[in-house]
Amino acid sequence: MKDKIKQFLDSDILEKYLVGTANQEETLQTERYISMYPEVRDAYNELQENLETYAKLYAIKAPAELKDQILNRVRKEHVGRKKYYRLAIAASVAVLVSFGASFFFWDQNQSLQEENSIVNNKIDDLEETMRQQLEDVRNQFIVLQNPQTKKVAVKGNKKAKELKAVAYINPVKRLSYINVSKLPNLPEDQCYQMWAEVNGEMVNLGIIHEADSQEKLLALPYADKAISYITIEPKGGNQTPTVENIVANLAY
Amino acid sequence: MSTLLEKHIVELLQERNEKAISLLYEHYGDTLLGVANKVVRNEELAQDVLQESFVKIWKKSDSYDASKAKLFTWLFRITRNTAIDKLRSVNTKSDKEIQIDVSDVYNLGVNSTRPEFMDVRENLDKIEPKYQIVLDALFFQGMTQQEASDELDIPLGTIKSRLKIGLRELRKIYGPTLILVLSMNLIP
Repeated sequence: MKDKIKQFLDSDILEKYLVGTANQEETLQTERYISMYPEVRDAYNELQENLETYAKLYAIKAPAELKDQILNRVRKEHVGRKKYYRLAIAASVAVLVSFGASFFFWDQNQSLQEENSIVNNKIDDLEETMRQQLEDVRNQFIVLQNPQTKKVAVKGNKKAKELKAVAYINPVKRLSYINVSKLPNLPEDQCYQMWAEVNGEMVNLGIIHEADSQEKLLALPYADKAISYITIEPKGGNQTPTVENIVANLAY
Repeated sequence: MSTLLEKHIVELLQERNEKAISLLYEHYGDTLLGVANKVVRNEELAQDVLQESFVKIWKKSDSYDASKAKLFTWLFRITRNTAIDKLRSVNTKSDKEIQIDVSDVYNLGVNSTRPEFMDVRENLDKIEPKYQIVLDALFFQGMTQQEASDELDIPLGTIKSRLKIGLRELRKIYGPTLILVLSMNLIP
């Protein structure tokens, strides 16, 4: 170790480092040695002192005008820098603003596109619903206006004496509708359900809601010798009709 | 040059306060002009070098690392490098121009007759020319000891011993101050 330090001090790497002529490798080595070995650090500090002392021996009075010139140049440098920084800051701000704006417009575009597709879907849904309702109304109109349409009054049996309904059946157009005008009150946990027996199969036509059933014609599937039933079922409807709870039937 | 002043200047430099340049010029201007003159050997050119060096010092002020070098060492490196660059750009002749000429050792310029430099010249006279040559080669010309040996046609061993003696002579002259500066450095 001592040898290594001695060898280093005997070489003139430290002197080269002192005056700034050491290459990168030598610089790194010197800085490592200075931080690791006090002998090298002391030698370096001594050399620095010697350099300053020796350089002072050659000092020449520096003229005062030169000082003013230097200060002027330094000030210009300062202003130049300030200008440069100002420009840099302005450019950065501009870039940030344009980024912000781009994101804002992109985001707006995204949400507008989303909204657009929602609106389009809604229009499609509405069109479909309207088409269906129009078809429905047209069919009802056909049935009700047709002279061949039979009007059949439906009355409830003894389980629901107050039940009143009118069925419209047109064998030519093969359409039939029923309008339930009055339903006796039921306990909360029960409801009326409509069924039709078509070609030997029992078809569920859904629950009858008293509120809307008065103005509404309920379409019945048409078949020759079909029979419709209204039954009382547990709330929410049933998969198959409860035969003993039939309150009205209609053959057509 | 007290360490306290050095610290103050470094602080001003890092704050990018122009006062730093003023102080640097007042306290190091003469020495740095001397350094530039030793390299370019022309006082007018040396003044140009000093101006360019100060601009560099100002621009590079945030690169100064007090843990790596004394303020003067850093200033010296910048000035010396600027001077060598200047010499290369001005001189179409080869780098031989920076070769050592014994007569230069005595050439201190007109300004050196000023009273404040009298003791300096006296001090310089205390160092024998043969040591001055070696110190010059090392500090100003930035030669390696081997290069100095080749250039001056002096054996490497002699260069080494003259360097040692030269530095010792230097310490004899400035001994007390050096000790003071060194001990000040020890106070955190």
